[in-house]
Amino acid sequence: MSEHQISVTVNGRPLHGQVESRVSLGDFLRIDGGYTGVHLGCEHGVCGACTVIVDGKAVRSCLMLAVQADGSDVTTAEGLAEPDGTLHPVQQTMREEHALQCGFCTPGVVMTLAALTAGDARPTEEALIGALSGHICRCTGYQGIRRAAKRLAADAGARAGEVA
Amino acid sequence: MKPAPFDYVAPTTIAEACAILDEAGGGATVIAGGQTLMPLLNLRMSQPFILVDINKIPELQGITKETGFTRVGPVTRQCDVLTNADLARDLPVLVQAVRHVGHHQTRNRGTVGGSIALGEPAAELPATSVALGAMIEVSSVRGTRQVAAHDFYLGPYMTMLEPDELVTAIRFPDWPANHITLFREVAQRPGDFALVGVVGALAIEGGAIARAGIAWFGMGPTPIKARQAEAALIGQSLDSIDPAAIAALALADTAPFDDHHATAEYRRTVGKRIFASTLGAILTLGEAA
Amino acid sequence: MNAPEFGATGIGAARYIGQRVLRKEDPRLLTGRGQFVDDIALPGMLHVAFARSPIARGRILSIDTTAARELEGVHAVFLHADLSKQKIELLSFFLMPIEVPVTLLADGRVAYVGDPIALIIADSRHIAEDAAALVEVEYAEEDPVVTIADARTGAPVHPTTEHNISQEMGDEEIDEDLDAALNGAAHQITHHVTHQRISQSPMETRGVVASRDGPEELTLYITCQSPTNIARWMSMALGLPQTAIRVIAKDVGGSFGLKNTPWKEETATVVAALLYGRPLKWIEDRYENLTAANQAREAEMTLRIGFDKDGKLLASHSDYSSNNGAYPQGADANVAVQMFLWGAYKIPAFGFLTRGWYSNTIGLAAYRGPWAMESLARETALDTAARQMGIDPIELRRRNLLTLKEQPAASVMGLPLEDITPAECLEKLLAYFDVAAFRREQAEARKAGRYLGLGIAAYIEPTGSAGSMPVMTGELAQLRIEPTGQVTALMSTHSQGHGTATTMAQVIADRLGVAYEDVTVFEGDSSRGGFSPGAAGSRQGVIGGGAAIKASDLLASKVKELAAHLLNASPETITITDGMIHVSGAPEMSRSLRSIAEIAYGEPARLPEGFEAGLEAQYRYTPPPMTFTSAAHACTVEVDVDTGFVKILRWISSEDCGTVINPAVVEGQIAGGLAQAIGTVLLEDFHYDARGNPTTVTYKDYLLPQISDIPTFEFVHANTPSQSVGGMRGVGEGGAIIGPPTLVNAITDALAPFGEVPVNLPLTPAKLLSVIEGRDIAGTGAGTAASHAPAPVEVAVAEAPVAAVAAPVPAASTSVDGDWQITMVPPMGPPQEMTAHFATDGTALSGYLESPEGRQEFTGSYDGGKVKFELKVEKPMKITLKYDLTVDGDVISGKVKLGMLGSAKLTGTRIV
Repeated sequence: MSEHQISVTVNGRPLHGQVESRVSLGDFLRIDGGYTGVHLGCEHGVCGACTVIVDGKAVRSCLMLAVQADGSDVTTAEGLAEPDGTLHPVQQTMREEHALQCGFCTPGVVMTLAALTAGDARPTEEALIGALSGHICRCTGYQGIRRAAKRLAADAGARAGEVA
Repeated sequence: MKPAPFDYVAPTTIAEACAILDEAGGGATVIAGGQTLMPLLNLRMSQPFILVDINKIPELQGITKETGFTRVGPVTRQCDVLTNADLARDLPVLVQAVRHVGHHQTRNRGTVGGSIALGEPAAELPATSVALGAMIEVSSVRGTRQVAAHDFYLGPYMTMLEPDELVTAIRFPDWPANHITLFREVAQRPGDFALVGVVGALAIEGGAIARAGIAWFGMGPTPIKARQAEAALIGQSLDSIDPAAIAALALADTAPFDDHHATAEYRRTVGKRIFASTLGAILTLGEAA
Repeated sequence: MNAPEFGATGIGAARYIGQRVLRKEDPRLLTGRGQFVDDIALPGMLHVAFARSPIARGRILSIDTTAARELEGVHAVFLHADLSKQKIELLSFFLMPIEVPVTLLADGRVAYVGDPIALIIADSRHIAEDAAALVEVEYAEEDPVVTIADARTGAPVHPTTEHNISQEMGDEEIDEDLDAALNGAAHQITHHVTHQRISQSPMETRGVVASRDGPEELTLYITCQSPTNIARWMSMALGLPQTAIRVIAKDVGGSFGLKNTPWKEETATVVAALLYGRPLKWIEDRYENLTAANQAREAEMTLRIGFDKDGKLLASHSDYSSNNGAYPQGADANVAVQMFLWGAYKIPAFGFLTRGWYSNTIGLAAYRGPWAMESLARETALDTAARQMGIDPIELRRRNLLTLKEQPAASVMGLPLEDITPAECLEKLLAYFDVAAFRREQAEARKAGRYLGLGIAAYIEPTGSAGSMPVMTGELAQLRIEPTGQVTALMSTHSQGHGTATTMAQVIADRLGVAYEDVTVFEGDSSRGGFSPGAAGSRQGVIGGGAAIKASDLLASKVKELAAHLLNASPETITITDGMIHVSGAPEMSRSLRSIAEIAYGEPARLPEGFEAGLEAQYRYTPPPMTFTSAAHACTVEVDVDTGFVKILRWISSEDCGTVINPAVVEGQIAGGLAQAIGTVLLEDFHYDARGNPTTVTYKDYLLPQISDIPTFEFVHANTPSQSVGGMRGVGEGGAIIGPPTLVNAITDALAPFGEVPVNLPLTPAKLLSVIEGRDIAGTGAGTAASHAPAPVEVAVAEAPVAAVAAPVPAASTSVDGDWQITMVPPMGPPQEMTAHFATDGTALSGYLESPEGRQEFTGSYDGGKVKFELKVEKPMKITLKYDLTVDGDVISGKVKLGMLGSAKLTGTRIV
């Protein structure tokens, strides 16, 4: 099997590695990068726990090979909070809304919401809920996740209003 | 599970990709978005010797309007279809269908060509290509050929594509600006393959149907063109159409089967209903317009 | 006792208890800094994968591991013979031996698809899987037993058993009087319920990292429900001293019963680590989780109920069967189903037969509310009966539920009931939800061809169990006020998402008078907390909370004693508020807790005489044996009669879990259980084909609820304090128990115009369309049109007249006098040996039973070879044992009724 030298930017820092072609981006981030917040829940693209942001878009890191991410800019749940520990608005909102229990699916949910609310995006609540159908949470019955999505959509709308 | 070992190559031209497929002699598998292939690799249900990544071939990307058709590069991401203004205007039902493909996260990597080339019979895009009369452009070192979508599918995950061939474009023929579309999918959850679905377009001239393209998904071993229904619709004026009768004709072309999620009888029963109700609804809209 | 007041608040003025405090666990989990088992990497660690059986049943003819061993990067390939070098005996959750021989890797036979055959140790998981694919096995395949129906007639799954019944309790023949009561009832129904197989599906699969640290120490990182329980289990299973085993599980990604105890793969990895001497990691992938991790539910039940002309319950009989699979984590006839079936209802007569069956499928494990079938069967049967009798289903429940005013009382199975409130929860629910308005809406909708339905269900749930079984213990709280004035708590509780580090800190902060932020709770490490069975049976809030209160009170007393001494005040005048110590009436004397703590640790000379230095306290709290939680739920649905799809419109939970420590956590538990209930009713279905091949092996086919499947739940809380310290009642399992009948009832109500909906879960669109269309669209073969007719009373017809069976006539010369060697086969646990001594005087009988546990004397009767006597016992609970034996020469046999536990068979011989 082939091996490949790859370089990825993860949370603003370079990550270089020699990877077998069959290694998924998820395994590369976890094992080579130590980004263990990337959780592999099913490895067949349904549960969403492994979701990371690649070049601005939320994708399944179990459905992408590490070698395919060569040269990409990747963000994981470890890369969202401020250096002083201040939570990212998505993380803070999810905390306030009790949107997690065991926390295994959580980093994936955080990354989808972070991708869709980044910058001056103004997602509707429906758009966020629609995107969240790509995440399985077995603990919460989605109650807090739904509340968080609702608030984040409203906040994004309010932000856009301020700018305008 | 982790994939079995394979070699990985990422050619940058179609010619290079075709040469690799030719040399591999059937041992290569093409990866585009990988949103269906990667699970199969991870589960070791697919064990190629070489994985040919076509994501770095610029010729395979992008959406361009050409005379008589819209050319969709196979590596066009599904998410890019959703934001393409030309498609929204020219081929609204393709955009509508893509909204139902997988989830937000898989649409961000999944491609139009990947879905069409794979040939899952309950998937949205193969049926949409059949309904709209798409031509699938297929290339190899032996040359390039155009295959009509309705001839392309042979069975579940089985297509006309030879092991050395690559889908290099999907050509969606133009539909008149005032064409009306139908789309209805019954699936257990958002993102699931359809239990039963129907997709199509109707062109109207002078209050009568001039052209009809309708296909089922989840109603047989391949996407199924509703030939009898299409033929019956041609020439009929909108107010004279009996949706239930057309639905019965459409059903006659299907060959649904039982699986874990639903029975063939369920698919027939519900398929006929959604066909009739969806057709009825758009005819009403068409008359109003 | 006086009945408590419904809805009374448990804890008085409290700053944190009862508040939606932000969780302490969340910052690390939200930032990807949780520590799950796959996040552990140890120096020198190798990776494990398993080669597994592709067939459901057969003999292994040969295994060839040559190619696997020769693969580069492979360190070892272990088979059963290799792992057998370590003594190992798998145990049930109750720490009992498993009833059939179970080995870690196949020992000549395979009994289900996925049965592990070889364990591969390699440099990476990738290579280990490569090698697993190279293990070549030849089989002599046999026809498998897959379903309960197969098990009844098929060849025994295990060579060591005579049939496929894993466990049986109750009466094989229905009691004559009960049968007569049922047949004589003004209204009778016979209600069948079929429950599919469920995969618990925690988002973190099973996994373990095992490290042998020298010859006498073993460190395990394992995803589990209690590290201390795993340490105890491993110690017993491996025969190693527990002190050598340290178990760590900081964060656990859900469990729901699956991770109660380790099973084949985890234990095999531990044994391999002991034998191979390198740290080993096995992380179950999702395919394995769906094809080899133990599963749950798959059961069927026939419930007969007789009502009087007013709809009052007269009698009931239940026949329940559970598919235990090949290697259940303890053979299980699920007697709890019978025990709680009529727990909240007034019914004079009840009998049951309850059985577990072996099959060539994955073994049975726990799943949130393992006995939930009782609420499903009862509450759906009541709605069916209500329709047949023409009584409103709410009214039917009002006539039969036990109210708070009627307590104390005992259930028909002898459960002592002192403060259950399902009737009151129902009334509170009805005060919140306008049923009449819904009925109007429903009628209007039907005119428009839309089918709405309302489902209501009520139940009670045993929680906080302690003291009745050896493994179900109390909880330990160990508290320290550090020299910094901050509080450290080591709790025996453990969270798999429960948020116990939050709720316990709330309790401690309140009771000690410190800020929530100043309390840190450590759990998840067997070297820190005391023994606990962990999250099993909705118990941690009740018992851990009680322990935290008691330990906090002890520690507060200690602080007050020291402060009083230092400040020259009396302890009664000292209060602790927000980390400050105050003397009443003397604000100038206030001191920080820290200043007192510094003295407590660092200035022994200033301490009162006899005062133990430091500020530390611990308390192990054991609550009353059972604490009941009650609830009534309502949900409304719309069923699309064109497609059979169900849309849930509203869902209201009216529950009484006593003192609520954190409403967000309580509602989270209920909501999570309800989501699983919705999955159970509409989506989830683990399926095997006729050859025992699993057909739902990914999450594309095993459908879990997504966000769009779950409505926004509405909560009505009643807070009747329980009798445990703090007044909490458990809430972990309730949603998964009461959710299914609530939703089924709503669907059935919506489709009532089309006939009864067979309760055969899941209610897929195809099954519902079968009811709507009156023909078999789902391919289940179930008659649907016939369901318009009243349910047939099938069981009664099948009964043979009991009088026709001639009792064996004992030999006239038989005497029972003397000593007998007797073996009793109880429903749970191993057979028990005892000696019996009988002496007769006419028909009067006296004697004693003697076993290693002691001697118990009795009196009874002896007549025509029939020996009858009763014994009262206190353990495992207060029950009366009724012996009914027959003497035939030198052989004695019969059975003993064990109260609500069913009955046990006895056989014996005369000691000559």
